[in-house]
Amino acid sequence: MSSANSRSQPDYKKTEITMEYKIGIDVGGTFTDFLLTSKDGSSEIFKVLSTPDDPSIGLMEGLAEMAEARNISLKEFIKDIETIVHGTTVTTNAVLTRRGAKTGLLTTKGLRDALEMRRGIREEQYNNRYTNVEPLIPRYLRFPVEERLDYKGDIVTPLKEKDVLDAAKLFKKEGIEAIAICFMNSFANDTHESVAEKIIKEEFGLELGESSQEFDKSGKEPHESSDGHDKSSPYITVSSSFFPSIRFYDRISTTVLNSYVGPILKRYIKSLIKKLIDVGFKGVLLIMQSNGGVVSPQIAMDKAAVTLLSGPAAGPVAGIEYTSVQGYEDCLTIDMGGTSFDAALIKNKTPLVTTEGEINRLRIALPMLGIVTIGAGGGSIGWVDEGGLLRMGPQSAGSKPGPACYDLGGELPTCTDADLVLCYLDKDFFAGGKIPLNYERAERAIKEKIADPLGMDVVEAAAGMYRVINVNMASGVREVSVKRGHDPREFPLVVAGGAGPVHACMIALELEIPVMVIPKESSIFCAAGMLMSDLKHDFIRTYSTSLNKLDKKKFRSLFNEMRKEATELLESENIPEGSIKHIYSLDMRYVKQYHEVNVEMTKDEMERGNIESVVSKFHPEHNRLYGYSLEEVGTPIELINLRLTSIGKTTKPKFKKEEYDELDPSKALKKKRKVYLPLMQAFEEVPVYDGYKLRYGNRVEGPALIEQVNTTTFVTPEYNILCDKYGSYTMYLKTKEKEIKKKVVGA
Amino acid sequence: MKIDKILVSVFQRRFKSITEEMSIVLEKTTRSPILCEAKDFVTGLYDGKGKMLEQTENLPILSFSLGPVCEYIVRYFGDDIHPGDVIFHNDVFSMGNQNNDVAVYKPIFYDDKLIAWSASKGHQADVGGAVAGGYNPRATEVWQETLRIPPIKVYEGGKLRNDVWDLIFANIRFDIVAADMRAQIGSCVVGERGVLKLIEKYGLKVFESHKEYLFDSTEKMMRAEIKTIPNGIYRGESTVYYDGRTPGSKYKIRVKITVEDEEITFDYSDTDPQTDGFVNGTYTSSASATLLTFLQMVNPDMPHNDGMVRPVKIIVPEGTILNAKYPAATTFGNHLCPPNADAIIRALSQAIPKRVTAGWDQLLCYLTSGYDPRKKDSYVDIGFLGLKGGSGATHGVDGYDHIGMIDASGGVLDQDYEMFEQQTPHLLLHHEYWTDSAGAGQWRGGLGVETKFKIGGEKTKVVTFGDGDEEAPFGLFDGKRATLNKIELQYPDGKVYKATSKDLVEDVLEGTILFQQAGGGGGYGNPYLRHPAQVGQEVQNGIISVKKAKEHYGIVIDPETFEVDLKETEKLRKKKK
Repeated sequence: MSSANSRSQPDYKKTEITMEYKIGIDVGGTFTDFLLTSKDGSSEIFKVLSTPDDPSIGLMEGLAEMAEARNISLKEFIKDIETIVHGTTVTTNAVLTRRGAKTGLLTTKGLRDALEMRRGIREEQYNNRYTNVEPLIPRYLRFPVEERLDYKGDIVTPLKEKDVLDAAKLFKKEGIEAIAICFMNSFANDTHESVAEKIIKEEFGLELGESSQEFDKSGKEPHESSDGHDKSSPYITVSSSFFPSIRFYDRISTTVLNSYVGPILKRYIKSLIKKLIDVGFKGVLLIMQSNGGVVSPQIAMDKAAVTLLSGPAAGPVAGIEYTSVQGYEDCLTIDMGGTSFDAALIKNKTPLVTTEGEINRLRIALPMLGIVTIGAGGGSIGWVDEGGLLRMGPQSAGSKPGPACYDLGGELPTCTDADLVLCYLDKDFFAGGKIPLNYERAERAIKEKIADPLGMDVVEAAAGMYRVINVNMASGVREVSVKRGHDPREFPLVVAGGAGPVHACMIALELEIPVMVIPKESSIFCAAGMLMSDLKHDFIRTYSTSLNKLDKKKFRSLFNEMRKEATELLESENIPEGSIKHIYSLDMRYVKQYHEVNVEMTKDEMERGNIESVVSKFHPEHNRLYGYSLEEVGTPIELINLRLTSIGKTTKPKFKKEEYDELDPSKALKKKRKVYLPLMQAFEEVPVYDGYKLRYGNRVEGPALIEQVNTTTFVTPEYNILCDKYGSYTMYLKTKEKEIKKKVVGA
Repeated sequence: MKIDKILVSVFQRRFKSITEEMSIVLEKTTRSPILCEAKDFVTGLYDGKGKMLEQTENLPILSFSLGPVCEYIVRYFGDDIHPGDVIFHNDVFSMGNQNNDVAVYKPIFYDDKLIAWSASKGHQADVGGAVAGGYNPRATEVWQETLRIPPIKVYEGGKLRNDVWDLIFANIRFDIVAADMRAQIGSCVVGERGVLKLIEKYGLKVFESHKEYLFDSTEKMMRAEIKTIPNGIYRGESTVYYDGRTPGSKYKIRVKITVEDEEITFDYSDTDPQTDGFVNGTYTSSASATLLTFLQMVNPDMPHNDGMVRPVKIIVPEGTILNAKYPAATTFGNHLCPPNADAIIRALSQAIPKRVTAGWDQLLCYLTSGYDPRKKDSYVDIGFLGLKGGSGATHGVDGYDHIGMIDASGGVLDQDYEMFEQQTPHLLLHHEYWTDSAGAGQWRGGLGVETKFKIGGEKTKVVTFGDGDEEAPFGLFDGKRATLNKIELQYPDGKVYKATSKDLVEDVLEGTILFQQAGGGGGYGNPYLRHPAQVGQEVQNGIISVKKAKEHYGIVIDPETFEVDLKETEKLRKKKK
C-alpha cells in the first residue's frame, strides 16, 4: 500500500543515476510508516502492515515496495540508500507483553525487594482489586550479596565474593540470559559492582575487558550458536557505569529494565543488519531513542533501555522542523493515532525532557522527552457511566474488531464512528477509499449505546462524543504545558497523526490556541522526525553537596570524565570532535527539598566552576515553575546531580520548496459536502479540497474540509488555512490573518 | 436553564485537572518530608457555599476534611469575605480533623460575587504545643498539642497581615513550616486562576446550573451503588488498644450500619466514651475514615464531589472516642481510622461479602529526630518505609503487599534508601518482605515488611504512635489472621527495649538498632483451596516458608527443589478437611 504524494513525485529516471536516499522508518501497532527522501528534496510516503512477531519483515517489505515503485530490484535500490533511521518498539513491547529476557539480579543483602515494592505504591487507592505489577525478576532470582558502602561511598562491609560465585552458579543453572548488578550507594563508588562484574564474567567464560555485547559488522559473534542466541554469554548491565545516579529504586529499576530488554534488542538489530547486508546495504543504520536523538546500533545494543518508549520521540523533533521554517522557536505537538494521543512541548527549539518516566508502572529514570500519552484515538470507545455522564476511552476498539463503521464485527461506538456521523470523514474516501466505511453501523452503535441512554438524537450524541474526546485531548496538552508552567496559547500547535487534523480546531479552541501547523507528512510524522534527529547521549554523575562547600576540582573532573566518555562514544559513531555539542546542566534544590530543578549552565561556567551565576538562574526558574522562590529568605541551595547531554550533528534531508502560487485555492476544489459545525450545532454545506492540489500561498477559508489519502483536515468557521512553501498548512484564527500571512508568505 | 450534558462532563474533567495542578505545586516545592515525600496533603475546589466540586486526595484520610471547614468559614465570616483574602485554619473544635493538618482557603470572586473557594490542607511539621511535631502522648488538653488556629485572615484584600503572620509563626518551631504554608497559598492561587478561566469562558449562570447537575448525577451514581447492597441493619465492632496513659486500656468502636434502598447510615452511638489522653477522634477525622473505607467498596471511578456524600449519613455523638468533647487532646484521631475501618468491614461483610477485604495491617509508626553531625544540623524523619504492612485480601484477589494502613491505601511512598542515608545519619541494614507475615487464605493477605537500621547522630529521640501490636489483622470466611506490628530498640549493650504503641524514648545511643515489623493483611477464604502451584512458587520466592505451607495451606513442598508433592498434599488436605 503505497501512496506517492503527487505534489512531490520524484523523477524516477533521474533517481536511478544520481540519487541517494534517506529513509525514516517508524514501526507502529498497525502500520509501519516510511518516509523516503531523495537528494533533490522530494519525498514519498509508504505504509505497510506491521509484522509484530518480527518487525524486520514488514520493514523489508516496505523497502521492497519502494524498489518496486521504481521498477528496479531491491538490490539496486538498497545500494543507493545512504541512511536508514529506524524507530523500533521491540523493547517497549517486550516490557508491555512481558516477553523480555530471563534476568537475574545481584543486589545488596537486605534490600532485594526494592525492585518489586516500587516504594510501596498502589496507584488506585480506592480499588481493592488493583494488583501490583509483576516484577521483571522474580524474588528467587534477586540474589543478595553481602557488601555495603555508606552514603559517600566508603566501604562499611567488604564484598563477599563467594556470594557472587553462588549467584553465578544459580544463574547458570536457571539458564539466565541477562544479569543486572546494582548495589546500595554504588553511584558514589563503583568498586564492588566492578569486582562482581569481573567475577561473573570469569564464571561465564567471558574474557576480561570484553563486552558481552560485542558486535562486528557481519552480525556474528565468536561463540554464537546458529540461532543467534547464546546462553553462555549473558547480557550484563552494571548500574554504576550504566546510570550512576542517586536514588536506589530509580537506579535498580532502570538497570534491570536495560538487562531485561537488552538481549531482545540485540537479537533484533543483529538479524536486521544481517538482512540489510545480505541485500547489499552499504549505508548507515541509526536507531531512535526516547530522548529524541538517534544512536548507532552498536551503542543501542549496550544501552537497550534508551529505546524504551521511543515510539513517539521523533514527533517533537519534526515539530521543531515544521514550525522553525516559519520563524517559531517554540511549539506544542500532538499526534492522534488509532489508540493513543501523544502531546509534547518544545521551548527554544528544545523538546522538554523528563527524568520521571515510567513504563507499565515501572520506573525508568533515563532522560527522555516529556511526552504525555493518553488513551484517546480514532478507536476510543464511547460509553455512558452509572451517573449518566458520557465518557470516551481509554478503552479502544483497536484495529480488530475496530470501530463499528469498519464493519469487521465491532459493535461499540468509537470516535471514528462519531467523525463519520458528523460527516468529517467521507465513507467512500477513507484511506483513499481502501477501507469503505459503513455509515449505518456507526449510526446504530451510537444510537444504542449513547443516544438512547442519554435521551438524545444520534447527531447530538455523536457531537457529544466528538466534544468529550477533544476535551480529553486538550487536558493532555494542558498536562505538558500548564502543569509545567507554560501557557499553551503562546505556542503554535503542530498537529499530526491520521485522526489529528479532524479534531485539531476544537482542541485548539478549547485551549484558546490561535495558530496550528499541519505538516504535509502529518500521518507519518514520526518517520519524518527520525530523519531530522541528531545523535544524542546523556550522562549523569551524582555529587551531593551544599553549594557553598562545593569542591571545584571535583566538580570539573566529573564533567571532564563525562565529556571524555561522550566524545569517545560519538567518535565511535564517526562524528568528529568539531561536530559535537555538549550541554551542561545541574540538578539543584533548596536544602531539605526533595525534588530538584534542572538548570542549564554554559561551558564557561562549567570550566570555571562558576556557581554564583548558576545560582542566579536557579531562583527565577524555581519561581517560574512553582510560583515562588526563597532567594530573599536566603535559603541555601544544594547540588545533587551533574548532567551532560552530547549531540553529534547528522546531515539532514533537504525538503523541496514550492514556488508561490496564488491566494485562490479553487483549482483544488473537489466538491461540496454537508458537515456538522460544532459551535453552530448544525450541518452546513462546506467546500472539500484535494490536499494534493493545494499550492504554496493558497488560502482555504473555514468552514472547509481538505482531504488526503491518510488524513482529513477539518477547518471550522473560526479558522483559515494558508499553505506554506513546504506544503504544510498553517491554520489560524481569522483575526490573526495579517500576522500569519507575513510569517507564511512574507507579505 | 437548559443543561448541556456534555458540558457537565467537561466541567468535571476540568475541576479535576485544576486540583491536580494545585497538588503538583505542593508535591514539588514543599520541604517537610511529610508533604513532599509522603504527600500528606489534599487540594480541592468548593462552591460559594463550601460544597465540594472536586479534590485531589493523595492521602485519603484527609480527603473529606476540607469541605466541612469551608462551610464553617462561610458561616463564620458571613458577608465579611473579600477578594484577596487568604484564611488559615487548623482548629479541631471548629470542624478541623487534626491539629497538624493546617488548611488554607482562598475565596474566588467573579463580578464581585463570591462564587467558589480553592483550598489546600497539609500535615505541617510543627504546630506549636508542648512537643515538636505535635505527637504528644502525655497531652490531656488541646493546648498541650497545638497552637489553635480558628479561621483567621492572613491576607486581607490582597495585603499580607504581617502581625498575624508573625503571631502564628512565633508559636511554631521550624522555619520550613512558614515556607510550606507559602507553598500552600501558591497552590490556592493556581486553583483560583483555573476556576476563573473556566467561568470567563462559559459564564457564571452556566457554571452554577451545570455544577448542580454534576452534583445530582454523582448523587445518582452513589445511590445506584448503595442500592446494590441488601437492605438491613449490620453491626460491627473493633478495639482500640492503649490510650498512651494506662497500660492495658481498651476501647470499643461500635458501628450500626443501616441500608435503606438508596441511602446508608453509619451510626456510632454505641461507641465507647473518649479517653483522657490524645487517643481521640474528631467528627471530621472519623467521618473521613468512614467514607474512605466505604468508597473502597463501591465503583472506584466515581467523581468525588458533594453529590457523592449526599446519600451517606454519619452519626458520631460528641463525647465518644471518635468525637471528643472540647478541650480534649485529639492528635491521634486520624489513626483511629484503621480500627474504625475494621468495624465497618466486619459489619458489611454480612451484606456484601465479595466486596469487602479482610483486615488490613494497622498503622504503627516511628519518628526519629536528633542532630546530624555530618551536616551540623537537626533532622526529623518519619519511618514511612517501615510502617506499611499488607492490605487485606478480598474475593478473587490477594492483598497488596506493603501499602500500609487503610488510611493511606498505597498513597504514601517509602523514602528512597539512598536519599534516606543522605538526609539522616542512619544506616539502613534491612528492608524486605516479611516471610509468613501474610494471613493465609484462598486469597492471601498482602505481605508486611521487616526494617532494620543503625541509628547514627546525636541527641536521638524516637517517638512511636499507632496500634496493631496486640491484635493481628483478621481473616474472613476461613481466611487466617496475619501478624502483629512491633517496634524494638536493640541497644549496643545487647539490651532490647520493646516500644509501646504510643511511646517516647529520649537520648537513644548511637549504634542502637531500630527493628520494626509491619504485619501482613488478613487472608480471605479457606487456604486449603489455594492452588498448590501458586504456593509452591511463593515458597521458592521465600515469602512463605515450607513449614507454613504445610501448616496453613496443607501443601507439602520439597525444600530443595521447591516442587509440590501432590500426593502428600492431597493426603494432608483430605485429612484436615
